[in-house]
Amino acid sequence: MSQSVLWEVVKGNNAFLVKRNGLTLSTDPFNNTGVQTYSSTGFITQNAIGVVPTQAKVNQINNVNLVARKSTKFQQADRKTKNTQSVYASTLSVKHGIHTASRVIRKRFGTRRLGLQKAALRKLVKLNRANAVRRRNEIAASKAQKK
Amino acid sequence: MTSVPLVSVFSADDSTKVTAKHIPLPAVFQTPIRPDIVSFVHTNIAKNRRQAHAVNPQAGMQHSAESWGTGRAVARIPRVSGSGTHRSGQAAFGNQCRKGRMSLPIKVWRRWHRRVNIKQKRHAAATAVAATGIVPLVLARGHRISQVPQIPLVVEDKIESYEKTTDALNFLKRFGAFEDVQKVVSTKVVRAGISKQRGKKYRVRKGPLVVYFNENAKLLKAFRNVPGVEVVNVTRLNLLQLAPGGQLGRFVIWTQSAFAHLDKLFGTYRYASVLKDGYQLLRPLLTNPDLARIINSNQVQEKVQPAKTTKVLHEVQKKNPLKNTKAMDRLNPYAKKQRAAATAAIKANTKGTKKIKKNKALKKASRAAFNKVSAALNDATKAAVQEEQDIKVKYFSVQKGAAQAE
Repeated sequence: MSQSVLWEVVKGNNAFLVKRNGLTLSTDPFNNTGVQTYSSTGFITQNAIGVVPTQAKVNQINNVNLVARKSTKFQQADRKTKNTQSVYASTLSVKHGIHTASRVIRKRFGTRRLGLQKAALRKLVKLNRANAVRRRNEIAASKAQKK
Repeated sequence: MTSVPLVSVFSADDSTKVTAKHIPLPAVFQTPIRPDIVSFVHTNIAKNRRQAHAVNPQAGMQHSAESWGTGRAVARIPRVSGSGTHRSGQAAFGNQCRKGRMSLPIKVWRRWHRRVNIKQKRHAAATAVAATGIVPLVLARGHRISQVPQIPLVVEDKIESYEKTTDALNFLKRFGAFEDVQKVVSTKVVRAGISKQRGKKYRVRKGPLVVYFNENAKLLKAFRNVPGVEVVNVTRLNLLQLAPGGQLGRFVIWTQSAFAHLDKLFGTYRYASVLKDGYQLLRPLLTNPDLARIINSNQVQEKVQPAKTTKVLHEVQKKNPLKNTKAMDRLNPYAKKQRAAATAAIKANTKGTKKIKKNKALKKASRAAFNKVSAALNDATKAAVQEEQDIKVKYFSVQKGAAQAE
């Protein structure tokens, strides 16, 4: 289903739409800017990548997941990899490091859609940084506790 | 369509097993998505379940009120006749009056129901069915389908013989539909407003819709107590269930026979429908609605002129060259060199002066001297203060003595 047609259906009302204070925002996991616009709304495309924070445990590094939208045209009835795959997305956790994750993003977009690419990378960096700060604080707190 | 999309039928007991590998998608699922038709039909059809109600026709009119006319220093509104009570002489009948009847009282013969052209209703239903097969639309409607193996979800007919709710629940869990049910359960809220007292205490979301075919199927009883789940026979598909609120993209679970029946119900693009007399599926206005593909296609790009680069003649906002170095450099390219030379000169001047390394001993000595001086100062001020106080005491004691003497 083409992005243009889906946009016409979805732009007025959808489950991810949040309108507040005159702003039109989106909680779409495939939207890296947070604002609902035609190009940034990833769930209506076939090839978006969303950068999503996860509820990982305290001492784990991988608190960020990459969620890659995949084509739903020819769906595979393959249920082997249950937890990371869904009909419309495949998930990659960032446990192999932020560089691997950024390579995934760059490869998916190539030289096209620089705006979307930058948005995804920006969000990845920010989440990672926030996570690092959080971890640093937690480690300091646990050390203080031990004393 | 050159290639017909294919769909797998899943085994009811095991969501990893597929009983029928590739079934062609019924033609309904290729119907163009027409939210305008659906919205129109939905708003009208939703009115058909309404029950007539009205205001009591005598409400507010059960008085023999008459206007007092002019000349009595009161408004000309009809006033209640009689005496001996507060009510007499009070205004009556008007919609603006206290205890008056409402304006345009509701009548029972209000036109509650709407008829919609059959063709429009059928097109709407077809579009709604098509939308249930489009993943982004189901996501946009808010269904939780991240664990569902396939959209549209087609399951073997075995579920039609489920009698126990446990079977139904386990089935939903196996196919990732339970997340949607959980959403329904967790978002059940007490309704705002008076409807609470009129039998509509809770507002409950819509979960999956299960569509079956065989009339003597028992699954209705199995599924009906699961919150949010609705069950419907494929011959009685209802737009109000397929597109609740006029919003396309309900999460639907089809049984195999129901799925196969859709072609007979709605027809295909080759043959009109068998069961809906003379109904032909809506044809799309554009065979290729993908704007991005059209624009980027060879045929269009060949004809299109190269993109114009906008020539920037000057900045939109004037920058002050005396403050903004880049603006200055644009006007006077030599300014950069001048600035560099100036900074170099300053650096050269300061290079000759050596830093005076203060001797530690010197520091100590100077500090000692300072302390001495400050100590001397302190003593001096102390002495002065003391002297002043002595004088004061003497003075006042002298005064006292003088007063006592007197």
